[in-house]
Amino acid sequence: MKSLLIRCYPARWRHRYGDEFAAILDERPLGPFDVADILLAAIDAHLHLRGIDAASHQTRGFMMSLRIGGSAAILGGVLFLAGLVASSIDHSEDGTSPWTAFLLAGTAALLLALIGLSSFQARRHPRLIWTAFAVPALGTAVSCVGIVGMAVLGDRPLVGDFSPWEIWVFGVFGTVLGSALFAVATYQTRALSRRAAALLATGSIVLVAVLVVGLTGIVPALVGDAGVVTSVLILAGLLAFSTGWIALGWTALRLERPTAAAA
Amino acid sequence: MEAKVPEFGRFAEPSLLILVSLSDGPKHGYAIMQDVEQGTGRPMGAGTLYAALARLEERGLVEPLTPVDRRRPYRLTAVGATMLAEQLRGLSEFAQRGLRQLGDTRP
Repeated sequence: MKSLLIRCYPARWRHRYGDEFAAILDERPLGPFDVADILLAAIDAHLHLRGIDAASHQTRGFMMSLRIGGSAAILGGVLFLAGLVASSIDHSEDGTSPWTAFLLAGTAALLLALIGLSSFQARRHPRLIWTAFAVPALGTAVSCVGIVGMAVLGDRPLVGDFSPWEIWVFGVFGTVLGSALFAVATYQTRALSRRAAALLATGSIVLVAVLVVGLTGIVPALVGDAGVVTSVLILAGLLAFSTGWIALGWTALRLERPTAAAA
Repeated sequence: MEAKVPEFGRFAEPSLLILVSLSDGPKHGYAIMQDVEQGTGRPMGAGTLYAALARLEERGLVEPLTPVDRRRPYRLTAVGATMLAEQLRGLSEFAQRGLRQLGDTRP
């Protein structure tokens, strides 16, 4: 009887689950409920196996997006930190430095991380996640325009009274603001590490605040010699921002591993 | 309220019960059936169990371990744990809302 029931399943299913399924059926006597349940499940297995390849493709795609997103977050965090710190130290005569390319590559990597890591958050906060993607996407495009402008025009105005450097800063602003929105969505859904999300949110908010205050010129009026304070705030915000992205990337890569409780 | 386990159709509820059963450590099929029966007071058939387990495995929410005799244990993956936590939070919020509404409408 048990052997007959197992034969109702497709050969491919029997090859994978047959032995362990037979072991379960040996554990206790079968009643009418069990027989009906197994027959219905066997019909389901025949129907379901037709779509199994598509499902495994979807799973592989999801895992791949986590891998790409996690790696991009780590790379983006490192490049963004290295690019911004080094370009602030290296003052080239024409307003550009090779480190600017690091910063642009970091921005692009963070954009890729946003795409790869937003599958959990997008289900619960679709508008927030789309905004978190759209703002830095626009920022990256603006950054590109600013960097090309710096290379071609130097300090001369590019759009209206805005210099290429100022346009590039607007682009960075978009990346940081989008990261803050993504961090808020991640913190709320608990999809990845909440501590990392909180760190990223804190760093992003500090950087946004410094950029807003710096661009509007309020700081000198408030604290006088604000150079040191601003530098410390930028450095702290930048460290939290980059570390937050790196930690989020790390937790995404660890999601593929078994849980400690289950090990 | 959100769907219990997306795209699992009539196996959504059994899948959720299996994930909860595996949340405290790996179990083989029969142990899962016993655990679910103890927890819900309703039996889960072997056919339903393996239909749901196959779907959970395809989605990377559980993973098989090396069989002991003919019994193969399964364990929750990190993705499965995250998914389970999300589903349980959604159910908890839904239950709390229902209880609040019930309290509001009582005479």
